[in-house]
Amino acid sequence: MSTQQLIQPEVGTSVSVPGDRSAPPVIEVAHLHKQYGTTVAAEDVSFTVHAGEIFGILGRNGAGKTTTVECVTGLRAADRGEINVLGLDPRRDRHELHERVGVQLQESAVPDLMRVGEAVELYASFYREPADGRELIATLGLEHARHTYFKHLSGGQKQRLSIVLALVGQPEIAVLDELTTGLDPEARRDTWRLIEGVRARGVTIVLVTHFMEEAERLCDRVALIDHGRVVALDRPGALAIAATASKRVRFVPRQPFSDEVLSVLPEVSAVEHHGPEVVAAGSGDLVTAVVLALHGAGIQADDIQTEMARLEDAFLALTDETPHDTNGATR
Amino acid sequence: MSTTALTLTPRQRRAFGLLVASEIKIALRRPIGLVVAVGIPLALLVIFGSIPATTRPMKALGGISFFNLYVPTLLVFVLIAVGLAGLPQQLATYRQQGVLRRMSTTPVPPSWLLAAQTTVSLILAVIGIGILLGAGAGAFGLALPHDAGGYLVSFVALVLTAAATIGLGLLIAAVAKTPQIAQGLTIVAFYPLAFFSGLYVPLQEIHSQVVTDISKVLPTGVGYTALHAAFGGHSPGVEPLLVLAAWAVGATLLAARLFRWE
Repeated sequence: MSTQQLIQPEVGTSVSVPGDRSAPPVIEVAHLHKQYGTTVAAEDVSFTVHAGEIFGILGRNGAGKTTTVECVTGLRAADRGEINVLGLDPRRDRHELHERVGVQLQESAVPDLMRVGEAVELYASFYREPADGRELIATLGLEHARHTYFKHLSGGQKQRLSIVLALVGQPEIAVLDELTTGLDPEARRDTWRLIEGVRARGVTIVLVTHFMEEAERLCDRVALIDHGRVVALDRPGALAIAATASKRVRFVPRQPFSDEVLSVLPEVSAVEHHGPEVVAAGSGDLVTAVVLALHGAGIQADDIQTEMARLEDAFLALTDETPHDTNGATR
Repeated sequence: MSTTALTLTPRQRRAFGLLVASEIKIALRRPIGLVVAVGIPLALLVIFGSIPATTRPMKALGGISFFNLYVPTLLVFVLIAVGLAGLPQQLATYRQQGVLRRMSTTPVPPSWLLAAQTTVSLILAVIGIGILLGAGAGAFGLALPHDAGGYLVSFVALVLTAAATIGLGLLIAAVAKTPQIAQGLTIVAFYPLAFFSGLYVPLQEIHSQVVTDISKVLPTGVGYTALHAAFGGHSPGVEPLLVLAAWAVGATLLAARLFRWE
């Protein structure tokens, strides 16, 4: 069964515009700090998630993503900071929070010898207003696996079951932690389509990931976490452009030319030669400036290529691979 | 647990019922607990009940048969099995695989899973004991308690012994980081507990002060002594029951204090 047809927005449901910043905030985190002994997992984390968006929390392993999510979902108490989720205090109002926020965590499972249908029925019974479990199972393409033991499911099926369990309480927010880790590329793309379908139902999604491609493809906004701090927060594209000050244009000129033709341009910061190829680095509207200048100087060029800034570049530029002296965040 | 059965809403009662039902299904799919708690004691009962020599009253045993002496041991063995064979490993496995972590994100706390497991253990105990008493009295002439008082004391002794062995099982589940460690601790605990229930040699035949002293302290020794007295029409006194209650409360409180959800 194709996953594309699986989740359709229900007719008549009001669906927020993706990433609508004017939508009301549903999660507000201010100066969250959490440490385990002397190990600081979250130094100072602040962000706001609006209704209806897919909000990404991106960072390396150990950057503090899971700790942040565990504090937001009431599984751990923050040492300091304010957290407000749907107007609730995640620790004090934990019970009510879990009615309204579906959570899928890493390293979580149902018993080996429980069947898919049993797990969904059991988890549905935990909630005040459960979704139709059968329909959810069908929606996520697990119909044929309904009677299969959990331990016999494939990795992709287990992940789809965990999405079912995160959604079976009809949550307003779904928190999905490293949902596609360990999946093959095809299963990962299927899962992405499912997540977009879930959002189309009006569910706000917090997606924790360390896959750049996933954040770029799915998220309306991304908080980049490094060493327990939010180092950047914006749309994936804007993050990428902001972080990579220099773009590059490559081309092969048909005639020799003076570097000055390009280096005088305000957009160009450097001109390099690699054999027959010339690389102009700079910022702003670099491509147009370079092409116009070459044209004006009567120089023809072949194989003009531009290197687009990607979120991955932003990630590498904004996060520091060397551990900080003061602490080594491990969670 | 902050919520008790009395304060559960109908929806919560249904959720707990489903949780118990699913634990029962899982237990039936991996029936090792059923085999140890019901199959082995029943097999021993049938074997000893079928040997003429063991069903004859013997002067050396105070005028009762070895069979009648041995049935309280088998009852205690059922309780060792339901507390230790299955329960700690299952909970340690649930913790290791993230089953408890998964439940902690729902409106139902993972402590319900402990309560459900304990319920399953108790159901298993009732089945095991019921079959032993039914088959023993029905087929092999087991002498049951003479009066209502004897039944009452037997019942109290069984309940307290069950609470003690299940408490020990929960304690093992609390301190064992992995199912393998849980299994190791279970084996370490099993042999002394089984020995002092008289499983290998009737306690009456061991004329050793040390053994007698230990049997007055270990829950299975105390449980056996109380049951033996109640089945023989004697009063075990209050002391063994208090010792059992102390084990039950102590082990359970310690388990609750030490239990880690992940």
